[in-house]
Formats: sequence, structure tokens, C-alpha cells
Amino acid sequence: MEAIADHLAFFVASGRILLHLLAVVAVCSALWGSANLCRREPLLPRLAAPLLRVALALFLCGFVLICRFHYQIHQLLPIELPPQLTGWLNDMLTRANRTSAYGLPLYDPAAPPRYALPLWIENGKYYFWFLCYTAMALIAHQRLNNHRFRAALHLLLAVQVAILFVAADPFNQPLPRFFAEVTPWFQPAQNPMQRLGLFMQLYPRMVFYYNAHYMWFHPPLLFLSYAAITITFATSCLMLARRDLFIESLGYDFAKLGFLLLTLGMLLGYPWALQAWGPNWWWDPKICSSIMLWAVFSTYLHARLYANKPHMWYFSSFLGILCFAAMIFTLLASFFFPGEHTMQ
Amino acid sequence: MQQRSGSYDYYLILATVAVLFAFSSLCIYAMFAFKLAQVQNLAPSLKFAYMERMNRLAAPLVMALITILGICIPKRLLPTHRLNRFAALLLATAAGVGLLAGARGALLLILCASLILQLIVLGLAMAGSERVHFERSGYWLRLGSTLMHLGLILFVLDLFFFRLPTLHLALFWTTTVATVLGMTFCFYAQPLATMLRRKPPETPWSE
Repeated sequence: MEAIADHLAFFVASGRILLHLLAVVAVCSALWGSANLCRREPLLPRLAAPLLRVALALFLCGFVLICRFHYQIHQLLPIELPPQLTGWLNDMLTRANRTSAYGLPLYDPAAPPRYALPLWIENGKYYFWFLCYTAMALIAHQRLNNHRFRAALHLLLAVQVAILFVAADPFNQPLPRFFAEVTPWFQPAQNPMQRLGLFMQLYPRMVFYYNAHYMWFHPPLLFLSYAAITITFATSCLMLARRDLFIESLGYDFAKLGFLLLTLGMLLGYPWALQAWGPNWWWDPKICSSIMLWAVFSTYLHARLYANKPHMWYFSSFLGILCFAAMIFTLLASFFFPGEHTMQ
Repeated sequence: MQQRSGSYDYYLILATVAVLFAFSSLCIYAMFAFKLAQVQNLAPSLKFAYMERMNRLAAPLVMALITILGICIPKRLLPTHRLNRFAALLLATAAGVGLLAGARGALLLILCASLILQLIVLGLAMAGSERVHFERSGYWLRLGSTLMHLGLILFVLDLFFFRLPTLHLALFWTTTVATVLGMTFCFYAQPLATMLRRKPPETPWSE
């Protein structure tokens, strides 16, 4: 662990500076958003786009830091076994693989297993989601010149940065679960059998979770869709207040993108779940809430086809808001419901 | 005729919305049932019994969804009066099979009937035939809508056969490709039409 200590200190220190800068931008966004949401005429309209651009630039800088830190973990923290254990371990793995549908790769002493940590685990997932939101908010901002809509985008950005700052900081004590898992491996003075036992705890989790190929598709697609749903939420709230075709059309564009990404993301989780958990993951609470979100989203898109019928305008706006509520519920389900995705 | 067909579409969509709402409610119920029963700590046999119970509760809703789809697909091929007869025949046959072979047999029948019809619609939509009726016009939109619905049928079939790894994987990737292509064609029909110089679709709806 000493190998990574200096890099960790740099990551924490530079991340703290970035997050404080983001907080300053978020405060400006909150003030600009609050003022413009209440006013008939826009106030300081030229400030809106630069604020979003600065926020996006800061988010991207932080993302580069996360990429660099994960690369250093890959390079500096290999899981190396003493040479006398490798033959015995590979015999054991070969026997276990005969009876398993999805086996573990054999240990290669020339290339010991290394972590290829995805960029969206632990608090990094919120960071990635809010980064995607900021990029989409900038696109939405440029597509629609409506100061109240822009104000809503800024207020949502401020809320997201506040969540990062208060509850989901990816830079302060980074990857606590990961380090809690791997720290015992790097403790000195363990006998070979202890090391082997620990290896067999770490290795399957590395193969089926941290280094799983699906990890690079399933979660990021879902977070991209969450960002698009957040924009649709902003448009749906405004549609309830005023019937504006341009706002509705923009919300629908983001809803289509969100639904496409959500469906693909959920589908790609299915073979991974069979591989990692076997067939007994069906009716897991998180799966149920995700299917519920998909069903509500699908209902919204079906209702939207008839938005020109009486009352369907308001009904589809209401469903757009319900989609967002279902998304938050799905997210919180990981904390309050037990199961395979649990964070309890 | 067009008007009646349009209202048929509207009521089918309302029925779809109602079934999806019921399915969402069941999912929420399942979450709380899981938490209260602490299913994750149960013995595998009890866990399996819980899953079977939830599957039984979900089966009528999945069947309703597939039945609506089973009616929705031939509406693209048949006039309304024949469609009513077809829907009645399909439901009666499914009920008969259900009595003889259980709910799984009935669902499999509806799925297979829907799959065959949807493949015919797909062929006609790909050929650009005007014989198929869609709520909206436009080559890519029609093709996309057909592929999306085909994806849903294949997905339910995949759930049926997930214990057969080779078939499951083949069905899964066909589902994924059909769904993603379908959504892309359907949601981005206008840019696709412009890019590939096909006839552009009508605007989704107007005031």
C-alpha cells in the first residue's frame, strides 16, 4: 500500500481544490437560477452559459484525476502470490472450473492479476452521473433560449454539486470499500495459507465485479440515462406550469435518449447477472425497482404519442416527473433494500 | 375506417399503460415483500419458493402485455373487424391451451403467434409495403417500431429459455440488437431519413 500512498495524497489534495472550486460555481448557479426562476425577464442572461462551461471543465478535470488514480492502482497494486503456491492454486482452480458454468482464469505468475477499476464505482458513480448531467445541461441550454428553463438547469446543477460536496465526495477518502477489501492483502507477515485464503476472497470479486467487461457498459449507460431523465424532469415541471411546444419537444428528445440508454444498460446487466450471481437474482429489489422505472418510462413515451388529446399533455408531464421520482427511488433502493446491489 | 383504426390504437396504448402501471405496482410490492421476509437470508429452497410465488403473480401481467402485443401486431395487417375476430380467436385458443397445458403453455402460444406475425410485419416493413398500417408513416419509423416490438417478444422468450445457455445467449443478443436498432430507427427517424434520403416521417403530432 505504500506504493500508492504518494499518489493517494496527491489525488486527495487536488480533488479537494477542484471540489471547492465546483462548490463556488454551484453557489453562483444557485443564485442565478433562483433569481431567474422567479423573474419574468431574464437577469444577467450572459452569465448562464459560462457558468455551465466552467462547471463542465472542472468536472472533466476531476474525471481525468480519477482516471489517473485508477491507472496507478492498476500499475502499483498487483495481487501477487508466493511462487510455491501457484501450482497448487491452479490445480484447485482447474478442478473448480470443471463444475462451474463461468470459471475463474488460472493464475499466471508472469502476469499476476491486476485491478482494472471502473471509473464509476463507489462515490465515483455520482460524480460521473453529475458530469454527464452538466454536459447534457449545456447542450439543452444551447438548444432552448428560455430563462426559466435555464434557471431550472442551474438549480439542479447546484443541488448535484451540493450532494457531492456533502455526502458523496469521491476525492476525500477515495474508494473506501475497495481499500477495505484489499488492505489486508498488503499487510506484512502473513503465512502462505493465509495469503491463499485471502487470494480466494479477492480473486473472484476482482474477476466478476471490478474487472468485469460489463462494468464498463452497464453502469455508465444507466448514469447517462439518469442524466437525460433529469433534463426531462426539468422540462416536465415547466410543462405543468405552461404549455410550451419547444420545451416539450426538448424534453421528449432527452427522454428518447434516456430510454434508449436505460434499455441498453439494463439489457447488458442481464447476462452479467447470470454470470456473477447465477439464476437466483430475479426479483431482487433493485431489479424490481429498475423494471418499475423502465415501465414508468415506457408509459411516459406511450402517453406522449397522444399528448395532443385533452388532458394528455398534463398526464404526460406528470409521467415525466414520475419517471424522475422512480429514478430516485431506484437509486435509494440500494441503500434501504437488501439484495445483490445493496449498499446497506 | 382510418378513424376507427386510430381509436383502436389509442385504446391499445391505454391498455398498455394500465398493464405497465400494474406491473410497476407489483414490482414495488415485491421490493417490500423481499425486505420484510429477509429473502436474502433464507435457505435456497425457500428463496426459490419466493421467486416462484412472484413469478405466478407476474405471469398474468406478462400474459396481458404479450396479448396486447399479440393484438397490436396484426392490427398492422388486418382491418378492424377481422382484427376483433383474430383477437377473440387468439384469446380463446390461449385459454384452451392454458387449461390443458398451464399458463406457461398459453404464454408460449401467444409468444409464438406474435413472433410469427411480427416477422411477417418486419418483412413487409423492410420491403416498404403500404399494406401494413401504422399510426405514423415513414420507412425508418415503421421499421424501428417493428424491431422494438420484436425485441420485447424475444426478450420474454429469452426469459423462458434462460436455462439453455446457447439458446439464451443467441436470443439475448438478437433481442439487444433488435431493441437498440428499433429504438434508434424509431427515435431518430428524421435524421436517418435525411441521411439516407428516404421519405421523411410525419411530425409526431401537431397542435
